[in-house]
Amino acid sequence: MNTLQVWVVRTLLKNTTIILFLLLFVGFGLLAPNFLSLRNLEIIISNASYIGIIAVGMTFVLLTGGIDLSVGSVMYVSAVVVGLLIENYDFSIAAALMVGFLAGLAFGLFNAVVITLLGIPPFIATLVTMIAGRGVGLLLTRSAAVDFPDELTMLSAVRVFGIQLNIFIFALVVLAATVFLMLTASGRRLYAVGNDPEAARKAGINATALIAMTYVISGGCAALAGFVSISQLGRVNAGFGMGDEFDAIAAAVLGGASLFGGVGTAFPGTVLGTIMIQMVQAGLVFIRVDLYIQPIVMGGIIFFAVFLDSFRRVQLKKLERRNIMRLSDS
Amino acid sequence: MKLATNLLLSACLVVPMAFASSAYAADKKLTIAFSFQDLETEFWVAGHQAITSTLEERGFNVIEKNASEDANKQLEQVKSVIAQGVDGIIIIPKDGELAVTIGKLANQAGIPYGVFNRPPSSKDAKALVAVADNRKISAEAAGFMAEQAKKLGRKVTPAILVGDLGDPNAVERRQGFLDAIEANPDLWTGAPIEIPTKWDANTALANLQSALQANPDIDFLFVSSDFLFPVVKSVLAPLGKWEKSGSDNHVILGGVDGDKTACKLLGDGYLDATGVQDVYNEADLVLDAITEAVKAGEKTPEKWMLDPGFALTLGNYDAKKDDMWGCKLLAQKGK
Repeated sequence: MNTLQVWVVRTLLKNTTIILFLLLFVGFGLLAPNFLSLRNLEIIISNASYIGIIAVGMTFVLLTGGIDLSVGSVMYVSAVVVGLLIENYDFSIAAALMVGFLAGLAFGLFNAVVITLLGIPPFIATLVTMIAGRGVGLLLTRSAAVDFPDELTMLSAVRVFGIQLNIFIFALVVLAATVFLMLTASGRRLYAVGNDPEAARKAGINATALIAMTYVISGGCAALAGFVSISQLGRVNAGFGMGDEFDAIAAAVLGGASLFGGVGTAFPGTVLGTIMIQMVQAGLVFIRVDLYIQPIVMGGIIFFAVFLDSFRRVQLKKLERRNIMRLSDS
Repeated sequence: MKLATNLLLSACLVVPMAFASSAYAADKKLTIAFSFQDLETEFWVAGHQAITSTLEERGFNVIEKNASEDANKQLEQVKSVIAQGVDGIIIIPKDGELAVTIGKLANQAGIPYGVFNRPPSSKDAKALVAVADNRKISAEAAGFMAEQAKKLGRKVTPAILVGDLGDPNAVERRQGFLDAIEANPDLWTGAPIEIPTKWDANTALANLQSALQANPDIDFLFVSSDFLFPVVKSVLAPLGKWEKSGSDNHVILGGVDGDKTACKLLGDGYLDATGVQDVYNEADLVLDAITEAVKAGEKTPEKWMLDPGFALTLGNYDAKKDDMWGCKLLAQKGK
């Protein structure tokens, strides 16, 4: 291959997620023309926003080689706290949201302490928080649904700079995460910790503090995602947030994050992964695929995307190896 | 003399023991295990309350187990209560397949087994099953919606929010809706638009928005469970389609369950009809059957009991609202 061919192949391989995203968008558009409208894209991003916010928090955790199974329950408890404070204690919406957010951070802090100080594996620690967190929510509500006032649900219709509020919040979270991961020393250290925690420690990085921070961020993101979701739904049932942890993990992995740590980005990776999942779900509704076939198609597309990602990593490594040889030859 | 002393001593020991034993038998409370899939909706909460309170009123010990929507967990819970030697088992299963698996375990252990509201997917295990006639009540509700549509003097575009297809109730409700569609072939602009929800509010929200974006002319919407009405409202309201019956922008709306929200929406005129499951009747049916079986010493009783239910509509609201469990709860809340 000549230099141009190598450049083209490398560019294609480096952008497979974006290419797949565009192919799916255009493909669904060809099958259902009104799928390509801006309004539809806005709806897709809006519906992806709450999972996207959780997935950004999850990306931080995955970067350290950890996992957070508690996000769905934290989302539920935080939303319940907000609802009950407004309904039973006459809290203002802003004050209730703040307390709910603090509850999310507290759960994240609990995970952080258990994982980093007590040395319990993240899977077990967050599994326990997942179960106990849901229990706390059920205890507070006695399993009853919590309804939110219209003032809160009307927030979903608010636009900031012409952008829907939930998309705006999602964008802010992504921006903050990207700036942190790409432009700060702590962000770069996080990748180092994920790649090799022991080497990072020897290099003087406080890996324990960084790992603990990711779980607090994840808890905060889960609480925020809960608010975004209740502003759209107006009600929280006992099943609220259940299973969302897996959607968030799928979105982050689809966006290129590694379950073994050290690899992943909030933007474009996790954002594209989240929106792609939502886009496929919307596309299947648009083209009216049989209900019994939809989960199979959905699973097939996610598998293909992850397979493609794995394939491109291998090819990119091969390309880089050849280049090194060529440089040394010359 | 020695023999007489021994006999007397033995009598002193045995007689009180015999009396104690018979007194214990008379006092022994029977134990019923109640495992439920979750308490996610008002319907499950009302069912749970009706079953536990009635069992306690009837003098049973009750062991409650919440499966938190986890089929494996529910299976393990039932294995555990079987090992504890309970006298009867009642479950609200996570899904129809699980109801069969658990039923076989209960049958093997010789413990009477009752299923509330969500039926087993087959009759391979012997069970006392109380279930609503979901297909019939859905067809009745959707049938009333069709009558409302006919008054418009034009064709309408039908859609349905479908529940989790692993749940027999969701499948039956979808079938009941399709029965009503089939019964009025000239009323529709095309085949009904089927929107998956997996019984999840966020999924329902996203997919309903997509369906309305793809088919803005949807004006006939059947919702497979009343717990999704807040979602429907949050999607229709920004589009100016959350209007009362009689308004030009009103989407003809129907549901199933009969919860508090549905009662209020019917009273306010936003909802046209809902298929009502009689939660109290279903609880009584399964409890009566299992009480009878436990007391008669039956090991594997079998009986399928159908709650006929009914449709509460804008047409019969005043006359029948007091029969709907959601309206009763709403009235209690008002007090």
